Amino acid sequence: MYLFTNAIKNLGRNKGRNMLIAVITLAIIISTVVTLTINNAAARVVDDIRLDLGSRVSVRQDFIEMRQMGLDGRRDAQHIPLTDFVAFSESEFLRHTTFSADVLAWSDSLFAIDDPNLGEGTRVLDDGSVMNEETLRLVTISDPELLPDFGTLREIVDGRMFDGINEAVISEALAAHNDISVGDTIEIIGAYATDRMFSLTVVGIYSDATDEYLNPWITMFGLFPALNRRNEIIASFDTLLASSWETNAGLDIDFHYFLSNPDYLEAFEVEVRAMGLPFTYNVDINRAAFERVTGPLAGISSAAFTFMVVVLVLGAITLGLMSYMAVRERKYEVGVLRAMGLERGRVAIGIISEAVMIAAVCLVIGLGVGSAVAQPIANGMLSGRVAEAEAVENPGANRALFAGGQMQIGDGTAGYVPVSEIQLNLGVDIILQIIIITLGLAALTSIIGVVIITQYEPLIILRERT
Amino acid sequence: MKCLELMDVSYRYEGSKDYVLKKISASFEAGKVYAIVGESGAGKSTLLSLLSGLDSCKEGTILYNGKNLQEIDRDEYRSKNVGVIFQNYNLLLNSTAVYNITLSMKISGDMASKEQAYALLKNVGIDRETTDRKILKLSGGEQQRVGIARALAHNPDVIIADEPTGNLDEKTEAEILEIFTHLAQEDGKCVIIVTHSDNVSSVGDVVYRIAGGKISTIG
Ligand SMILES: Nc1ncnc2c1ncn2[C@@H]1O[C@H](COP(=O)(O)OP(=O)(O)O)[C@@H](O)[C@H]1O
Ligand SMILES: [Mg+2]
Repeated sequence: MYLFTNAIKNLGRNKGRNMLIAVITLAIIISTVVTLTINNAAARVVDDIRLDLGSRVSVRQDFIEMRQMGLDGRRDAQHIPLTDFVAFSESEFLRHTTFSADVLAWSDSLFAIDDPNLGEGTRVLDDGSVMNEETLRLVTISDPELLPDFGTLREIVDGRMFDGINEAVISEALAAHNDISVGDTIEIIGAYATDRMFSLTVVGIYSDATDEYLNPWITMFGLFPALNRRNEIIASFDTLLASSWETNAGLDIDFHYFLSNPDYLEAFEVEVRAMGLPFTYNVDINRAAFERVTGPLAGISSAAFTFMVVVLVLGAITLGLMSYMAVRERKYEVGVLRAMGLERGRVAIGIISEAVMIAAVCLVIGLGVGSAVAQPIANGMLSGRVAEAEAVENPGANRALFAGGQMQIGDGTAGYVPVSEIQLNLGVDIILQIIIITLGLAALTSIIGVVIITQYEPLIILRERT
Repeated sequence: MKCLELMDVSYRYEGSKDYVLKKISASFEAGKVYAIVGESGAGKSTLLSLLSGLDSCKEGTILYNGKNLQEIDRDEYRSKNVGVIFQNYNLLLNSTAVYNITLSMKISGDMASKEQAYALLKNVGIDRETTDRKILKLSGGEQQRVGIARALAHNPDVIIADEPTGNLDEKTEAEILEIFTHLAQEDGKCVIIVTHSDNVSSVGDVVYRIAGGKISTIG
């Protein structure tokens, strides 16, 4: 016991040196706390994203393959029954599936905003058939919760969200344009399948603060009402299934199959191919999107980690040197104690416990300060990295790719980008890790000095002085 | 009763050819004061470091209460059985006088009481005000007295002193010698004092002289 009280007294007797040791230790602890909290949070977020985006399989048509087929004059199956896509979701490799599909539509009773022909436009296709000019877009989705803009840019202002089959919600602008109110029925026709008629009851009207056109170049060659977001008519995916729509022809599908483990991708693909998915479809995880979202986090993690290693190494060297110098300075004191009959081991315990006590005090302060500064530092690092990541991203590539009569909206990262903030908190495991690192460091550095000093015989130490 | 016994002890410092002590034999009994005299460089301090267990002799044997000092735990011997007053005091400079005393008590495993420490310091002429000052701020004479008090703090059987009164005036020297003789006669301690002073050697029950590496009795 007196060893510890002596150690405490010694801390006070060498204030200057101990303050210096404390400052270095504090720097080490704070940077370790910051690094570990950031790394931990980043790892957690990456894990979450891995479970979501990283395990989200899209089944989509491969336009390059289809174009080649057209050039080759092949007529392989391009369309498969919609019910097959639903059947894929029964796979044992999945934990969850979301469906959304957009139908380019036309109506002679519901006029689209920006429609120059007021619903009178027609187009003659290559095979001689006549097609109505698409002016509207029927957006169907398996769960209204998944609609990206609701709750942020869009808000139901009248009525409610759709629920049952053949219920729909439309924008205030579209409603006003056609003098529609909640309870009215609208009739729309598939632009590419003119015999498909949807008769939908408007159950809700929403305010819409999204950009009308996602990209300004869309309107460069004339108005394109079907791409004006005010012209979306939103309904449940079941509405589409319940219609006589048999295949995915004329649909912009966006089906997401969530693997229960990201490694099941290959097995899942084998299974759906066996169920008849043609090779004109890609089965893939959006790796680019996954990396774009997790990239900034990984960057921060590695930057923080490098920083921590540098601080730890430099800190350990400094502490080791200081401990060595301190012990040389204290040689005489050790000699006296040894002469008084204090054993080597007890001298060592005394010196090590001094180091550990400093470390313990620094731990308390460091954990507090570290957890307080971790969040602002992480936010600072993130904003830089996210900006970097977004600059690399091609703004046009992200959305509204119009090809082969099909519309591709988004790459699945909506809702992830930007990861401008991660919530940090100091978990028990981190605290434990830091305690081990700090006490280990303190013990390690003091042991260097202790080993040197206790080698000496007390008589030799005392004699050197005289 | 023989407390310490030297049997054919020879000693030379590491790296030196010359023996400082050459096959010396002597014995020290409890209840007596021994004075060791000799010229400077004769080997008095060397002998004391062997007797106090700070150094070990490789040639010859030193027995403490019949046990070979080579074989017993010399840390324990120093902390419990022997009290050493060093020529240059060897106190903890950054600690107070009283702390030096209580720490010695604690190392020996005794219950340490500040009151006891104050009393000890008072006996060697250190007043209450001085006891709470750091050793660094004490005069040589005061440090010497604290050194004496520390040597007695853990109530050792053997008290070994190297020129203990070198920095003291005659009046204090007389008081200290009084303490030493009291310790031997009343408390049955074995007191061994290296000295130049005739005053000191005069209180010795036995006076040894070291010269030419040999030890001899005077008187
Ligand atoms: N550490 C040492 N190494 C080598 N020789 C030493 C050492 N200490 C003392 N001596 C030598 O040993 C002899 C005895 O020294 P010492 O015991 O201090 O004499 P005294 O105390 O009688 O004056 C001296 O010749 C001295 O020079
Ligand atoms: Mg000497």
